[in-house]
Amino acid sequence: MLIKYEFLKILRKKSTIIIMAASFILTALLFGIQIIQYQVYNENGVIKGLAGIAYEKDQYKDLSVSLSEEYITKTILEVQQLFKNPDNIGYDGNEQFLIGDAYWNSIAPREKLLNTISKAYDSPDGTLGYNKFRNLDIKNGANFYQAVKLKIKTLLDDPSGNLSACQKEYWSSMAEKPGTPFQYGYYGSWEIIISSFELLIFAILAVCIVIAPVFSGEYQAGTDSIILSGKYGKTKLVTAKIISSFLFGIIAFTLHVVLAYGIIFAAFGTDGWALPIQIANITIPYPFTFLQAALISIGVIYLILFAMVSFTLLLSSKMKTSYLVLAVLVPVLFIPVFLTPNGTTGVYNLVLFLLPYRAVMPEIGKYISYQFGSFVFNIFSVRAVLYVVLTLIMLPFAKLGFKKHQAV
Amino acid sequence: MELQLQNLSKHYGKKCAVDNINLHLVPGVYGLLGANGAGKTTLMRMVCGVLKATSGNIRLNGKTQQELGERYYANLGYMPQDCRFYPGFTAREFMLYMAAVKGLDKKKAKSRTEELLYMVNLQDIADKKIKSYSGGMKQRLGIAQAELDNPSVLVLDEPTAGLDPKERVRFRNLISGFAKEKIVILSTHIVSDVSYIADTILIMKNGRIILQEPMGSVTCGIKGKVWEVLVPESKADMYNMQFSVVNLHHENNMVRLRIVNREPPAPGAVIVEPGLEDLFLYYFGEEAKEEKLHVN
Repeated sequence: MLIKYEFLKILRKKSTIIIMAASFILTALLFGIQIIQYQVYNENGVIKGLAGIAYEKDQYKDLSVSLSEEYITKTILEVQQLFKNPDNIGYDGNEQFLIGDAYWNSIAPREKLLNTISKAYDSPDGTLGYNKFRNLDIKNGANFYQAVKLKIKTLLDDPSGNLSACQKEYWSSMAEKPGTPFQYGYYGSWEIIISSFELLIFAILAVCIVIAPVFSGEYQAGTDSIILSGKYGKTKLVTAKIISSFLFGIIAFTLHVVLAYGIIFAAFGTDGWALPIQIANITIPYPFTFLQAALISIGVIYLILFAMVSFTLLLSSKMKTSYLVLAVLVPVLFIPVFLTPNGTTGVYNLVLFLLPYRAVMPEIGKYISYQFGSFVFNIFSVRAVLYVVLTLIMLPFAKLGFKKHQAV
Repeated sequence: MELQLQNLSKHYGKKCAVDNINLHLVPGVYGLLGANGAGKTTLMRMVCGVLKATSGNIRLNGKTQQELGERYYANLGYMPQDCRFYPGFTAREFMLYMAAVKGLDKKKAKSRTEELLYMVNLQDIADKKIKSYSGGMKQRLGIAQAELDNPSVLVLDEPTAGLDPKERVRFRNLISGFAKEKIVILSTHIVSDVSYIADTILIMKNGRIILQEPMGSVTCGIKGKVWEVLVPESKADMYNMQFSVVNLHHENNMVRLRIVNREPPAPGAVIVEPGLEDLFLYYFGEEAKEEKLHVN
């Protein structure tokens, strides 16, 4: 009963409706704009938006293939054959590339796939794409998966990475796990989803703004003394306030997720959910499909949401007005936006990757790990544990803050 | 049922808002009188457990607030000064919400809500949002919520402040109706409110209870100190400045003054029966005069 009324108190506020409406519109715009701005090219020029998406999906019809060594060898050979005809080659003063029908008929429709394959053979910073195939020795086959292993080893051994032996061992062993050969196919929606989690930070902010007055609003409105003098004012009511805040947070955030990904799925479809995430970047060490990667990332974001809700409630129980709560909360959420990591190791980077704004980005392609003695943990585990612990620490203090509040 | 305040004090830094108060309250209506800033609200908030005392104890039937925990609050009904509500709630929703805060089961919450809304005459507008209510309606809702679980201690802090005379009379009757078998502490600086319904008068000044007397004998202490005198209009201001004037009534070109003073204020002054307002003025002098002006 108390939970119902506390939930109603949150919902009935005009500010809740305004903030939620603004946040839904912003989310729809942020995700919708990715469809409007989506563009693919063919020989006739650019195709934008939904037409571009439909065109690209059509191109992928023949690309739902298993990336076996034979298939990759055959593909590389095809590109090498194209480079043998001088009429197919253009030169911009810097590098040579395929032009005309050779490009538009044989490269453009599968350029993403070719780029994925070429990364196995390219240097860590290389962006040669299909050009890399031109001089590749495939007399003994493409040895693609061997090249992937080697590429990952090169990345792990890079001195600038500063990884310890334990960490290298951890990542090498994890990189063994994705099953081969990779199944390739269309994954348009998932590519956008896994690269735009940070846009959900606005939904988290909106939830926090709405629940900021849960305790402080009572102090501000002068209703604190009347409820604190009730039998359950310092006990069950506080729990009800916390539960209803979480309930609101979960529902509101889930609606944002449904809206955001609903827009993306409506435009791109859900194709590719079962494909391995390595087809987007072959050096990703996690053995996840796109769906698994998305669910794990979203799961961590929910834990961040819970911690932020707890932090908001803690501030709300201690501060006299909701404005003061927001004055602390907004910088905590958004200062990390202006801080850029300069690597994947070192205290600064490792802390930065755990701060709320950065923590909503999965950083799935980076070898970010936390070592405690001889134990190594990946960033998902550390974020999950950290935010659960923060939630569990802050909630009792929020509870105590209201319980001990003095109605002066 | 007994409520004991033992050596109760509250300090805000160096300022002492409540100074070592000792009271033993049994069922009855206690009118707590004091000028603004006397410490009434601080005292009531401590009694209601929403403000921690700097020192001292509050015991209900011999047990402290801390020992009783939820059971202390279960015995308590509180209507704070300037009672605030959730503007988006209807009166019925607010009552049901407060019933849940007070731990009433669903069935009892509903029946008690309807009963009290009827008693405070809000049943017809119980489904209207509280933000549309007048001050008097809000005050009635305030007392209704305080009575929800029929508490044995009812604390009403300035319940009639801001009400017109008709609403005040109505309110006094409501309180009288609720007061049976309870300890009712009614704080006010409007003397007439308590004169009708209080059994005992408590006078608070500078954080201390300076007088605790049954209503019937509360004015005994100033017997022979209340005077009436008829003076020319031109001299009224002079008397007003020199003495504690409770009342002033124009009669042709003369003014009849009611004065609280140890000695006769003028030749021909006659002693009259003292009232509660005289007592208030006797203790609060200039402060009371100012408040009287505000109230009138």
